[in-house]
Amino acid sequence: MATALDKPPVTVETVSTTRPRTGFRKYWHLYAAISPFYLLFLCFGLIPVGFSLYVSLHRWDGLGSMEWAGLSQYQYLLGDTDFWNSVGNTIIIWALATFPMIFLAMVTAVMLNSAVRFKNVYRFAYFLPNVTSVVAIAIIFGSVFSTNFGLVNAFLQAVGLDQVAWLNTPWGIKIAIATLMTWQWTGYNAIIFLAGLQTIPSELYEAARMDGAGPVQTFFRITLPMMRPVLLFVLIISTVTGLQSFSEPQVLLQTTANDSTYAGGPGHSGQTMVLYFFQQTFDNNDFGYGAAVAWGIFLVVIIFSIVNWRLVQRRGED
Amino acid sequence: MRLSRRGLLRAGLAGTAATALGGLTSGCAVPTGSTGRNMVLWYWDGGLGDTVLKNAKARYDSNVDLEAIKIGGYYRSKLITTMAGNAHVPDIAGLKGEDMASYLPNANQFVDLRTLGAEKYKSQYLDWKWDQGIADDGTMVGFPIDCGPVAHYYQFAVFDKAGLPYEPDDVSKELNTWEKFFAAGEQLKKRIPGTYLLSDINAVFENVVQQGSKRYVDKDRHFIGDQQHVRDAWALAVEAKRRRIVSDLVSGTPDQLSAVQDGKLPSQLNASWATSDLKTGVPKTKGRWRVAQMPVRPSNNGGSFLSITKECREPEQAFQIITWILNAANQAQGFADAGLFPSTPASYELKTLRQPDPFFGGQVTMDVFGPAAQKITVAYNSPFDIALGQPLKDEIKNVGVLGKDPKKAWSDAMSKCRRIAKHLGVSY
Amino acid sequence: MASIKGTRSRGIALHAVLVVGLLLSAFPFYWAVIMSTHTTSEIFSYPPKLLPSSHFLQNARSLFDNIDFFGSMFNSLLVAGSVTFLVLFFDSLAAFVFAKFQFPGKNVLFALLMVIFMVPAQLSAIPQFVIMAKLGWIGSMTALIVPAAANAFGIFWMRQYMKTAIHDELLDASRIDGANFLRQYWHVALPVVRPGLAFLGIFTFMGQWNDYAWPLIALTNPDNVTLQVALSQLNGTHGTTDYGMVMTGALLALVPLLIVFAIGARQIIGDLAKGAIK
Repeated sequence: MATALDKPPVTVETVSTTRPRTGFRKYWHLYAAISPFYLLFLCFGLIPVGFSLYVSLHRWDGLGSMEWAGLSQYQYLLGDTDFWNSVGNTIIIWALATFPMIFLAMVTAVMLNSAVRFKNVYRFAYFLPNVTSVVAIAIIFGSVFSTNFGLVNAFLQAVGLDQVAWLNTPWGIKIAIATLMTWQWTGYNAIIFLAGLQTIPSELYEAARMDGAGPVQTFFRITLPMMRPVLLFVLIISTVTGLQSFSEPQVLLQTTANDSTYAGGPGHSGQTMVLYFFQQTFDNNDFGYGAAVAWGIFLVVIIFSIVNWRLVQRRGED
Repeated sequence: MRLSRRGLLRAGLAGTAATALGGLTSGCAVPTGSTGRNMVLWYWDGGLGDTVLKNAKARYDSNVDLEAIKIGGYYRSKLITTMAGNAHVPDIAGLKGEDMASYLPNANQFVDLRTLGAEKYKSQYLDWKWDQGIADDGTMVGFPIDCGPVAHYYQFAVFDKAGLPYEPDDVSKELNTWEKFFAAGEQLKKRIPGTYLLSDINAVFENVVQQGSKRYVDKDRHFIGDQQHVRDAWALAVEAKRRRIVSDLVSGTPDQLSAVQDGKLPSQLNASWATSDLKTGVPKTKGRWRVAQMPVRPSNNGGSFLSITKECREPEQAFQIITWILNAANQAQGFADAGLFPSTPASYELKTLRQPDPFFGGQVTMDVFGPAAQKITVAYNSPFDIALGQPLKDEIKNVGVLGKDPKKAWSDAMSKCRRIAKHLGVSY
Repeated sequence: MASIKGTRSRGIALHAVLVVGLLLSAFPFYWAVIMSTHTTSEIFSYPPKLLPSSHFLQNARSLFDNIDFFGSMFNSLLVAGSVTFLVLFFDSLAAFVFAKFQFPGKNVLFALLMVIFMVPAQLSAIPQFVIMAKLGWIGSMTALIVPAAANAFGIFWMRQYMKTAIHDELLDASRIDGANFLRQYWHVALPVVRPGLAFLGIFTFMGQWNDYAWPLIALTNPDNVTLQVALSQLNGTHGTTDYGMVMTGALLALVPLLIVFAIGARQIIGDLAKGAIK
């Protein structure tokens, strides 16, 4: 990527032609070839982003006329405990899902790397959870976590523990959502890790063994450092998707009552940022405030990504 | 294979156009409203009687294809989003009573039913119900379907087993105050462990509020959710939790229904339309139920309307259909079909309403709902009620389900209400 | 001798752990089968059932009576299929340009692409809804297909792929033979990057098939929705009343992707890994 950007942007021929019209005529087919994306982006990306800034400065229910509101929507957002609650929920659920997932995926990958037989069978089976529909699987998990007839509680009872009302306690809800995400993504990431492991030259391991390093030492001295780029990739992807989580809590906590389907369960304990955005915009019909919430989410995602990146970066320097 | 640049571009464009067209044609091709011949009606499960709809479809078949679509989930949100989206807006739309106030500010999205001659039907309907369908500027948005007199539903055998009164008359008489009602809950729990009188604390809070003549915002756009009537409801709900007679199950979840089926939730305070929810939700409990009067005095919960949207191409035809669907005879049928309590007093004398119901062990439920409906107090329903009632309902639910400290919950609810009131321009 | 024995027992332990993981991966599928073969009141009663029963056909029948299952599946195929086709065409074309040609403004345009990559979807959700309402697209599949027809990720990914996969000598040779830009794209570039296209295609298809938030809002006509929205509606309407049927719907909705996966498993798993390692 860097090399392409470092090259002079124009070829020699263009430099020699002084009139830009000729340049455009010469290159029009290239512009035409990349234009569909930029046109779509203009219509459904750039204009909407500008427009959403405009909407966020108004009171608007989507039906009537807009009313100028200045920065009051943002002012309201700053003190909106429900919004901050949703930010907290999102980050907690993300952490509850991501760290066990990365750990399990890494362990699975290391085991797969050493198990020679049936490797393809395992890879196939572990990838299976990822090719499911999130809506369908959330419905299925809802029944696994049911208080009265769910499997998890039946298991707890069988081993003599108390039942947990998974889908109506704050931590139960978060754990159920995180479990669903972990189930869906562990195998996927294990396969990525496995590919990473296979690129580590075996000479490195040979050398370590010669030096008398045990398996644990080898893992921390060789495997982990070599896997850094892959780990980073997985972390970034799961951050971007995790902070935007919507389908899992929405479907898992949906009820048939005549109530908001974006509320995220009792105490809004499973209400993520994106759910809160949908609730404000489409359930309360507050397009103006919804737009402000969207900008709030955008900022949170950016700040969180920078912090995350800096942390990983610094650990690398140690 | 020769492929010219223009040819490829053309192929690409044709592909896009084809898929776009494919989407359009499969999307019914008509972006807004209907063609007139085809008339779409939106309602929700149990919102209208099935027999009535079937008869209406047959009756108007020569003029229109009446297509009644059941909408699941949060009905108001779906309808308003569809109106904002300006496509596939139904011609006739059911409006839930509890959402009514929030539609009225957008009265211009609906046909003013007065312009279609609604006035001449007024005398046939309950006055208070009729008035609820009218916006502040006089536009008539909704035509009355039913009202929602609330009664006490309970499972006969479970009450018997717990040593509680079990005949409807005895239950009405002996559980006629909240104190006695809560005491019954304690006894039930003691005699049959794991059993709760009510599924959640909101059943107490919301029903007590609905028994009164005031809600959260008054006619002068002033917040009254901090006044005594709400404080009393709050205190009663907290007491129900303190005495442990409410479960921590969430309404509308499979878990709740499963507990109802098992007899672990043998009782509920609910409107007459809830009979249809019970019949479809827990058909296995047929014959186990009875209804009695709720404590203190009856309240009204829900009760809905039909409206004609401004996208409707044939308002006269639509109006003819809704007035027929909602005439006295069909309202009686609606009660038989789905427990929709008629808003037409003429129906009350009809035989259909006085049928013994096998789901309730042969009880004539009208004997309970009828007197209840006459004692309903009507409260002013402000367009801001939903927004300003929500923090109170959320926080009382936190007390009930999550065990939050009631004092903290109340002050959280109040500070949220203050912020929302300020945001919406409601005086606090 | 002892050490061989040791390795073998370690191998067995390894496989034992791996099999547990495998069962955990597969279990929810089995659970869905159990749930969809019971009646609702059987599901609601304690203890939970662990073996399939015999009510599957009954559940399936009420599923097909309640929602237009195959209609919504067709819609999902239509959306996912069209988007995949358009994305493959537009993205690979743009990626080809960015990977192999120089022209004024290239750097600025490419940097813009990377910025777009980062803009979250909900920022444009409201205006997109308003714009589509004006265009009359709300409620139709067009509202899902058009905005997804080209994306920054695909262009970026294909560009990386093409930079190494297409050799400059091949392009030079074809230029000397008098091939114009589109012929180069069609005859030189595309054949070489076919594996990359297959991966991007499967990835796009699965992503579109699972898309849920935007369709939930944009598809306002309840009779004409994608499979995910239909399932969610089904759960919201009958989730407490006919649970067996809802579970049957969830189970059947898994089938198409599993078929796609069964056909392309090797390719998907292999390319996913390659893509990440790059």
